[in-house]
Amino acid sequence: MWALLGFGQATGLRDNDMRHALIVQLARLGDLLQTLPAITAIKSADPSLTLDLLCPMPLSPIGRMLPGITRVLEWDGLAWRQHGQDAGAGLHLEHLRDAERRISELSSERYDWAYVLNQHPRALLAGALLAREVKGPRLRGPLGEQLAPWASYVRDVAATRRRCRVHLADAFCGLCGVYPPGKPVTLSRSPRPLPPDLELIGKQGGPWIGLIVGAGANERLVPTEVWQWWVRQFMEAVPAGRVVLVGQERERARYIQDQLPSSILGRLWDATGRTSLPELAEILGRCHTVIGADTGPLHLAAAVGARVIGWYFARARVHETGPYGTDHLVWQAHEVRDGVVSGQSGVQPSSWPIQETIDAVLTGRMQGLEGWSVWVSQCDRWGAYYSEAGGHPAPPREREDLWRELQPLQGG
Amino acid sequence: MDYLNHNLEGLRHTCPALAAAVKDASGGVLMLKESREGSVSAMCEGQWIHSAYDPRKEAKAWAEAQLREWQAGEVAVVLGVGLLYHVEALAAVKAAGSRLAVVIPDVSILKDALRARPMGAWLNAVEWILGTAPEMAEQLVSHSAALRVFTYAPAARLHAEIHRELEEWLRRSVAKQQGGQLHVAVVGPIYGGSLPIAKYVVTALETLGHRVSWIDHSLHRASYDAFGAYRDMRHRQAMQSRFAEVLSLSTITHLSEDPPDLVLAIAQAPLTLAVLEHLRKKKFLTAMWFVENYRHLTYWQQLAAGYDYWFVIQQAECHEAFKRAGARSVGYLPMAADPAVHRPLTLTDAERTEYGADLSFVGAGYPNRRVLLPRWLSKDWSFKLWGNEWEGAADLAPVLQRSGARIDTEACMKVFNASAINLNLHSCGGEALDPQADFVNPRTFELAACGAFQLTDERALLPDLFTEEEIVRFRRTEDVPALIRMWLDDPSGRRTVAEAARQRVLRQHTYGHRMKELLAAIGLRQPDRIGAILRGDRNAGALAVRAESAPEFSAMLRRFPLGQRVELKDVAADIRANGVGRALEREELLILLLDSYRAETRDLV
Repeated sequence: MWALLGFGQATGLRDNDMRHALIVQLARLGDLLQTLPAITAIKSADPSLTLDLLCPMPLSPIGRMLPGITRVLEWDGLAWRQHGQDAGAGLHLEHLRDAERRISELSSERYDWAYVLNQHPRALLAGALLAREVKGPRLRGPLGEQLAPWASYVRDVAATRRRCRVHLADAFCGLCGVYPPGKPVTLSRSPRPLPPDLELIGKQGGPWIGLIVGAGANERLVPTEVWQWWVRQFMEAVPAGRVVLVGQERERARYIQDQLPSSILGRLWDATGRTSLPELAEILGRCHTVIGADTGPLHLAAAVGARVIGWYFARARVHETGPYGTDHLVWQAHEVRDGVVSGQSGVQPSSWPIQETIDAVLTGRMQGLEGWSVWVSQCDRWGAYYSEAGGHPAPPREREDLWRELQPLQGG
Repeated sequence: MDYLNHNLEGLRHTCPALAAAVKDASGGVLMLKESREGSVSAMCEGQWIHSAYDPRKEAKAWAEAQLREWQAGEVAVVLGVGLLYHVEALAAVKAAGSRLAVVIPDVSILKDALRARPMGAWLNAVEWILGTAPEMAEQLVSHSAALRVFTYAPAARLHAEIHRELEEWLRRSVAKQQGGQLHVAVVGPIYGGSLPIAKYVVTALETLGHRVSWIDHSLHRASYDAFGAYRDMRHRQAMQSRFAEVLSLSTITHLSEDPPDLVLAIAQAPLTLAVLEHLRKKKFLTAMWFVENYRHLTYWQQLAAGYDYWFVIQQAECHEAFKRAGARSVGYLPMAADPAVHRPLTLTDAERTEYGADLSFVGAGYPNRRVLLPRWLSKDWSFKLWGNEWEGAADLAPVLQRSGARIDTEACMKVFNASAINLNLHSCGGEALDPQADFVNPRTFELAACGAFQLTDERALLPDLFTEEEIVRFRRTEDVPALIRMWLDDPSGRRTVAEAARQRVLRQHTYGHRMKELLAAIGLRQPDRIGAILRGDRNAGALAVRAESAPEFSAMLRRFPLGQRVELKDVAADIRANGVGRALEREELLILLLDSYRAETRDLV
């Protein structure tokens, strides 16, 4: 136990030979799931290492499903926000004592080191408070300006949106100083009961399609009319087909159902807005294919072993954040000007790959349409990559070059 | 049973003077009555002081409600004595070591209480405050701790006037001791008479050492006027109203980007009720100085519930009206002058010729002025009339200057300084003197600050502000010519009176004084927020002393000048400036972590 603010030196170092490390991932669901390869690679490199995870409190149930994680520390962002605002309204010593108490409640002992995977200062500070050493995006502590090579790469890609081929999940591996595991990794999941009306999901008929109706940002929402049309077309084409609507947006799900003929509603399940994250994982895991534009649940679907079809537009980019694994498909929207396809993102589509994705589900045939290209996921020793459907399947060479440039000392 | 002597036994040791005073007091103010549950209760002037059913239960509920407000380190001051059930209940729930004081305006009531029922040991732990209002204020302020006033209304109503006086003295005492730096956002009007006052307020607050964000809506005057150019009145009103709403939102945007300790609006500031309610939800403190006659401009009725604090230039009926409309707190804050603007001038001969006269009047052509001023024209003295809105006042046309154009502040000062007698006639809608003559207009203070002699119509609130030796006033219109004649013949007397008025302004009636009083009033009601800042509790020196048990944190604070207000963001900025390239201390990491959450913009817009 380290000394509570008196202040004195923090003395709570672990006293045995076991090495303890902490992964700090305070971003959203998709980022947490994309941490999975890094966790696997770290544990693979040092099986005796005890590895804990610090993640946002609402995501902790998923954190507990990550293989290789011993303990999950829950970061209560709302409480910290209130605490920060109270301290901002009039700083007292008690605010620091309370903050120290919160940190010590997370862990009574300091970790040997922390892998910090976010560039936000609070993640770096949390890592610095909980561990003796921080391996993360900044080279000289939380206030240092100089970025680690992989952090610099990620920031550069995010800022310039330039074409890239290293997946964010693999860049996380780089930030942690390890190489990608070279294979897809799934969550540790044991079958979980669902509410009675959802229990039939995945058990009768099929194929079962999970449809993610919402998105984390308005610009990434697929119009409900498009989903209605997708469901209608799919149900007509596959008499035994089943669709499960998932996500948080109940209103959108209702709207989709309101417009559908009653004859197909018996094959439609609405699970929106009423499932916990582990229940959502269970539902997605029972589906044959999961389709949507919301990258967080898409990553969850991939992590529970479902085949994923993503519609990527607005800011979503297949090469950086496509579902991790093999045989996932992504339709990526492009801006086409004067017949030339732009590599820039921020595209809002005017047409949608409805029939194309139904064909892919039913026949495996992959075809693009104007404004969209189709990509298939693969995985090799340099991590996940996407190659264009119908194109040359060879892995892109630039990934290997980048790994050798950014992580030369451990080059394999 | 002789409860009195038993109760006094303890008091004789802890507060012998009070014990003696109680013994000598007559008592008999309260009428004792048995409550339904059998304990003694009391009535006075036909009203119950404590519950007729269960005084203890009622007192317990009251005490628990007060406890939620009572912060650590504050001295609780109870107004209202009664049979002390509420004090006993508060003493029972208070945190160990916290101090409780009770104001005793009338020892006879305390005698009634001590005679009525047995008190416990808690009685001897109470600090009793008695004497005149200034004496009581001095005792309370000498605690050098934050005061949290709790009013037990059924008993306090018996001494409302003494309590008001005590609060005023407390306000003055606290005002004198102000040493901290606040961040005040001053929200001004788009145009009008309150615009210069908003500017004086900004200057005064800055001069007092506070940081001011001046949200100046006069920048938008041209657009506002443009929206007023539509032919149809409904269009004009709709567009100007919508425009005011936009300005209200722009105010909120400004506040969210640089959150102040206090939002101080000056009359006519374009803040809507919806925006004010939103600000309250986000825990912004708001105050309005309504420098208008509440009987003429009545928009306050729609906004009364919106502000946390109202300050008005009228008393009694005005306060009641505001409270009926939903205002939570209404205080009296008269007008003032800014000695940097309203000042004696040395004029050239040419200026004296242009601006000077035996008798002058500066102001707009309100109905009562149109009727009364012609009566005071005479061949025995020269008269100059300055200002606008005098169209159609044929009698006054020969004396109207600059064809009735509006004159600026600097020209006003020249007129005041150059005139032998300045008439100061408060405006009203009738044809005579203002029948509800209560508030004192800004002109009174401005003329006085210039060292200019004035003749003003009597106001109910004037005697508290100026004596008859400082400002000459008239109560009947027919007395004015004789007064003019008398004072024109007495230049030396005019100088004496005018100088006395100027000195009074400099002592008591500047905008600096007003802002100190306003902040002190809010500080008294917000001892843990505004009060703490004003006392200097947030200054680096005070914070460092309180943080001595944490040497590293204390050292961080001592890097700032002792008298400088220091907040989380300042400490964090200092760490960022000095922490690059070295391992940060644990306390520094915690400060930066808290600050990263503080810095999240309040989602106001």
